[in-house]
Parts: sequence; structure tokens; C-alpha cells
Amino acid sequence: MLLFAVAVVFVVMILLSMPIVFSLGVAGVAGLWLGGYPMQQLPSALVSGSQSWVLLAIPAFVFAGGLMERCGMSHALVELARAMVGWVKGGLGMSVIVVAYFFSDICGSKMAEVSALGSSLMPPLTKAGYKKADSASMIAAGTAMGMLVPPAIFMIVIAQVTNTSAVTLFLAGFVPAFVIMICLMTLVYLRARKYDWPVDAKPDLVRLAKAAKEAAVPLVVPIVILGGFFFGIITATEAGAVVAAYAFLAAKLYYKNVSWAEMGRIAYDSAILTAAVVFLLAVASIFQYLMGVQGVPKLLGELLGPLKNHPWAFLFVTAFISMLFGMILEGLPAAVVLIPVVFPIAEEMGIDPIHFNIVQTAAVGIGLFMPPMGVGLLMALKFANISVGEHFPTYLPYIVALLIGLSIIICIPEISLTLPRLAGLIK
Amino acid sequence: MNTPVPHPMKTLERIPQFVVTALITLAIVNLLVGVFLRYVVGGITNYMDWDPVAFTWVEEIGEMALAWLTFVGAAIGIRSRSHFTLHLITPHLGEGMKRAIEIFNHLLIAGFGLLAAWHAVTLCKLNWSLKTPGLEISLAVLYASAVVGGILIAIYAISMIVAPKAHDPNALH
Repeated sequence: MLLFAVAVVFVVMILLSMPIVFSLGVAGVAGLWLGGYPMQQLPSALVSGSQSWVLLAIPAFVFAGGLMERCGMSHALVELARAMVGWVKGGLGMSVIVVAYFFSDICGSKMAEVSALGSSLMPPLTKAGYKKADSASMIAAGTAMGMLVPPAIFMIVIAQVTNTSAVTLFLAGFVPAFVIMICLMTLVYLRARKYDWPVDAKPDLVRLAKAAKEAAVPLVVPIVILGGFFFGIITATEAGAVVAAYAFLAAKLYYKNVSWAEMGRIAYDSAILTAAVVFLLAVASIFQYLMGVQGVPKLLGELLGPLKNHPWAFLFVTAFISMLFGMILEGLPAAVVLIPVVFPIAEEMGIDPIHFNIVQTAAVGIGLFMPPMGVGLLMALKFANISVGEHFPTYLPYIVALLIGLSIIICIPEISLTLPRLAGLIK
Repeated sequence: MNTPVPHPMKTLERIPQFVVTALITLAIVNLLVGVFLRYVVGGITNYMDWDPVAFTWVEEIGEMALAWLTFVGAAIGIRSRSHFTLHLITPHLGEGMKRAIEIFNHLLIAGFGLLAAWHAVTLCKLNWSLKTPGLEISLAVLYASAVVGGILIAIYAISMIVAPKAHDPNALH
């Protein structure tokens, strides 16, 4: 009954366009008051939720991503991707998918990624004769896939709320993202044959070598992350610091195109984004306290009981719910509201925590780009200047490709677990 | 509707903006100091068989900086509308109704901030004599972030009532 009242307050506040974080906060306070719980729980949960060593990786990665984007590193990555796969039929379209994989490595924010890819790839795609709807679909689907490529803020948050290792999760994301990339590239190739999309450029080793040289500076980042985590020499937070310092040195000594004032602005924007993310986590901890004392996980466990002998069915159902949450509430509220409730059930069913988190990350990433209201998709459509309705028929095959990729990840846990296992991070 | 903020208020508004920029810089530089102490200094002391250099204070500074950054930044985010919001029903309402809802929402947000600040004062008093292990400073410094943050949340929410800021027409949420 108490939780029903809390849920009603939460939904009413959201419908009244109160920011989600404060809708959660007001509903949480209502729950504490109605349930007769100590109100001191409010500041206590807020402070303990925002005081975390692991979450310090967020400002570092966000600042580094903002700085690298400002330096123009995305252009070097676009050129490398075009040199790598541009010679295949529909090569420019494929390079969108490849660059989304690379770029997610240096950029922690999906919105920044859509913006960077949209601005640098939409003009050449249009020039090469791709329909706007196809261009927007490739950017949207590629960025959705990139959710699994570290260092995603979402992964740090989900690691925090499920008390799993951010390093292991980061390392686990590379291969599943690659699987979805292959699904998307296959689709682009099939559509290229059907619609006679052109070859972007002839195979050219000189161009490839030049592009690789230009992209060497941004590509150090995934090497630091992958190598540092694989050999267990660095934590996620420390990797954030190293990448931020590297971005700073690259901006000041190599690119030399970012003034101190611009750097201050990037630091300020990163601080505000970090605060929005961490405050959401902190406020949601009041909710989690209420759900814990009201026995919600046990209740949900009983509700989902019939699925207990079918872990894959449980994963499909929770992934579907995560996708809906990701589409309606954006990614992070999904992580802080939904995941802590269903995670203990998954553990009880014997689902590997890392596999579960990877599936939910992929699902939320797809949800962000799901019509009609995923914010990532809306952003991509702004660059194409078309409506959701006009775009949908073209986007449908891309959604199917993303869902096939997600299904493969759900059904084959080894895709997520092999790399962390090889690194000795899990048994 | 975008009521201009009076000049002295603009100067005051810059203080929290400067504070969060300083805090994120401190947090990142502090992380780097931690990496240096762990890998370089730690490596040297290990090799030379010297006493290890303690760096628990690095973790304390980082966590405190993040807590303060979160509260001050969350308050600024109210005015810069950086907190994610769904606009499902309100865009279809009349201007008067929209404004009334906006005032109601910000009154609730201000109340939330003041309530958090009020109870955080009690936590500060309770933790006043407890010291952190590394820096050996009062734990009240940590809980004071909720006091200051709560008050700032209330101030920024009230500022949205007395000097409202328009929605960005290009915003996606």
C-alpha cells in the first residue's frame, strides 16, 4: 500500500513535468513520512549515495570525452573508419557503424556521440546518395550499439548499484558490442546491395596508413582501457584520471586548438552532467531503502517465480522492461530504479552478474534509440530533419538487427564472459 | 517567459559555477596524484624497501569533492534545466496552467531541499567529533555538503519562481 502511494506520487510528479530526480525525491520523502521511517534517512542516503570512489570515474571520463571531442578527434576516427571499410559496397554506411564503435571508446555521453557523428557523417552520407532516413538509422543504431563499449557512464552506474566490478563490466562490453556491430554491418551490406549504395573509395593502403597515423592519438584511449583492465594494472577510476590527463596533454601539446577558457567551460559542463548523474543515484537510494524495508525484491521474486527455471526467459523479460525504461525514462533512471530490484533475483537464479549487467546495458542502449520517444533517436532525427513517423519504416530493419544482436548476447553468456575470464577477473 | 536576472544576482550565480568547476578540477587532479603515489612513489618505496607512503587521504578528498560537486551541481542544474524531465502533458496546456504547475513543482523542490538541509544539520552535529582516518578532519565537513546543497536547491528553485527561465525549444527532454 505504501509503495503504491509512493508510485502514484512519482507518476503524478513525472506527468506534471517535474524533473525525474526530484519526482523520485518527493515520492521518497512521501514514502518515509507515510511509513513513519526516520526523515534523517533522507540526507544520510543522499550523502552516502554521492560519496563514492568508483563514481569518481564519471567526471574524469566525461571531461576527457568533452575535451577529445572539442579537439576534433572524432574526425580522425571517421577518416580511419572510411579508410578501413569504405571500399566495400555501402562502405560509407558501414564506416558509420565502425566509427560508432571507436568513438564510444573516447566519448562517455551518447548525446555527444550522436551530435559528433551526425555533424561529421550526415553531409558525406547525403552527398553519396544515402536517404536521410537511412543515414539517421545508421547513426542511431551504431550509437545504440556503442552503449556497450567502455567507458560508458551507464556501466559505471550499473556497476555501482549492483555492487559489481566496473573494470570487469568494462572489459566484458567489448565483445558483445562487436557482435551487435557485425549484425548491423551485415544489414548495411544487404541494404547496400538492394539499393545499390556506392563504394566510398577504392582500397588504398597509403590512405589507410595516413588515417591510422592521424587516429593514433585518440586510439591510445581504448588501448589504455583494454590493456590496463586486461592486465589488472589499473582501476576504472584511475583509468578515468589517466585518460583525462592524456586528453589534456593531447589538447594542449598536440592539437593546440582548445583555449583555457574553453577548457574551463568543458570542465563546468562535465561537472553539471556529473552532478545530475550522481544526484540521481543518491536520490534513488532513498527509493531503494523503501523498497528494501517493504520487501519488494522478495515480492518480485515470487511474481517472477515461474521464470526461475528459465534464466534466458527471465533475461528476455527484464531486457524488454529495461528497453522500455530506457526509451521512456532515459538510461540512468532505468538503472537506478529497476536494476537494483531485479538484480538479486537474477543472482538467485544463477545468472552471472556480469552477463546480466551487459544484457541490461545493451537493452537500455537500444531503448534510448527506440521509437517513438527514445531521446537518442530524437537527437539523430534532428540532424536528418525528419519525423519519427517518416523514419520508422526505414529504421525497422535496424531495430531488428539490434534485437538479433541482443538475443545472441542473451543466449550465449560466453560472449560477455570470455574476456573477463581470460583476464582472470571472474571464474 | 524569460525574466532577466538582476545584475548582482548574476554575480552571485557565478560563485556556485566557479565552485563546481574548481571541485571537478580538484577531483581529477587528486585522482592523478593518487595514481602517481600508487604507481610511481609506491614502486620506488617498494623497490628501495622504504616505509610506504600513506595515501588514504586521496580517497577522502576525492569522495568529499564528489559529494560537494554533486549537491552544488544538482542545485545549479535546476536553473540550467539539466535534470532529465518528461514533457508528456504540459506542452498541451495553456500558458497560465503551465506556469501554475511550474510554480507548484519548484515549491516542492524547494521544500525537498530545505528538508534535506534541516535533517543534514542534525547529521553534522552527530558527526562533529568523528574524524576521517586520512585527513583527520571532522566528518561534519562531508555532511555539510547536504546542508549547503539543500539550501542551494531551495534558492535555485525559488529563483525559478521569481525569475523563471524559458525552456530551450531545441531541448529533447
